Amino acid sequence: MSNSMIIGQYVPGESFVHRLDPRSKIAIIFFFVLIVFFANSVMSYGLLALFAIGAAASSKVPLPYIMKGLKPVWFLIIFTFLLHLIVTKEGDVLYNLWGWKIYEEGLVQGAAISLRFFLLILVTSLLTLTTTPIEITDAIEELLGPLKKIRFPVHELALMMSISLRFIPTLMQETEKISKAQASRGVDFRTGSFKDRIKAVIPLLVPLFVSAFKRAEELAMAMEARGYRGGEGRTKLRELSISKLDYYLYALFILLIIGLFLTRS
Amino acid sequence: MNQSSKLFRLIILALFGSISMVLMLVNFPLPMLPPYLKIDFSEIPALIAAILFTPVAGIVVEGLKNTLYLIYTGAADPVGVVANFTAGVLFVVPVAMIYHKFKSTKSLVSGLVIGSIIMTVAMSVLNYFLVLPAYSWFMGWETMSASVKWTTIIAGILPFNALKGIIVGTLFVLLFAKMEPWLKQKRVRSSTAA
Repeated sequence: MSNSMIIGQYVPGESFVHRLDPRSKIAIIFFFVLIVFFANSVMSYGLLALFAIGAAASSKVPLPYIMKGLKPVWFLIIFTFLLHLIVTKEGDVLYNLWGWKIYEEGLVQGAAISLRFFLLILVTSLLTLTTTPIEITDAIEELLGPLKKIRFPVHELALMMSISLRFIPTLMQETEKISKAQASRGVDFRTGSFKDRIKAVIPLLVPLFVSAFKRAEELAMAMEARGYRGGEGRTKLRELSISKLDYYLYALFILLIIGLFLTRS
Repeated sequence: MNQSSKLFRLIILALFGSISMVLMLVNFPLPMLPPYLKIDFSEIPALIAAILFTPVAGIVVEGLKNTLYLIYTGAADPVGVVANFTAGVLFVVPVAMIYHKFKSTKSLVSGLVIGSIIMTVAMSVLNYFLVLPAYSWFMGWETMSASVKWTTIIAGILPFNALKGIIVGTLFVLLFAKMEPWLKQKRVRSSTAA
């Protein structure tokens, strides 16, 4: 653990994508993920790519940040591409490299599937890049709202999510502090046998849990003192609202779907 | 249960969810295993919650951990997140059920052993029928043949889950022995008033 581990991906901004309602973003991404699987021609993939890359560009998130989000999956994208290139043996032979033949179909399929994968990851990571975790939680609470009818504790879960999100940075710091404090007392986390290293985790975990209880007691008391009494009739500091921008997005997305079905073969 | 201990329980589970997520980020890959199988201690808070309260509390912590992870890292690997959640639930729930039935340290140890076995067996079966096909569908790979799936499971997934069960279980027993008196006191307090 070090300062280089900044968690969360949110990049603040004022762009079109940032200002969209998080509910719209989640819904559109959900449908985008579904329609990606319907694309089967060059034109239909082109349209989807245009939409996804257009969205990424209009978000004004600097390219390095977007690339960082894609980093864990580059390997998979390239691996998938190569796998198709090697395994698929249909169509004309395009190139013969010392007996290793590259077939046309393999190239086409590999490219199509890597592109599909790339688009999926690009669009979903755009959500976490342009939306704060707390906005995502609020949006999930709203979208799950109908489940309240079957007595699913939507409000309670959303409250827990926002408390968790609030405390992640605090607990990260605390973990680091405790591990330094224990290291200064001679606990060795880095060397030693596997068993020793597992044992070394105990003095790290005990204070973490004890302080969690202390914090929870304090927070519960503070919330009660301010009159918290469950989700009934609770008002919010940040209200979500659907604006003109969201309607533009819906219109654009419907055009994309129509275009997709016209261009697919 | 009165309102304030309900709120306390809600908050403590939320904090356990965050601890779980933090512990998940400090995972360390084991030698010999492929990099996508990583051992971490994120099951520990869920175990404590399930032992302290109910098995459902353990499921809630597991759910929180994975949702937080998904929100923070972006949805690059949704299949892995769902698989992690399932494995966690399959491990934590049997342990807590056995412990709550007998309430002794011995039952905790046998619970951890049974939990590890259930998780290992069930995850191998689920990988064969659901997780690996889901991966190959998601990545657009050719459907894996039965023998490829079996090799992956025997060489990777089965030993991984067994090892995870052993490591997390050992750590938990050691931790629980240290924290038991304190936890008992907390249990009494949180079930009367917080």
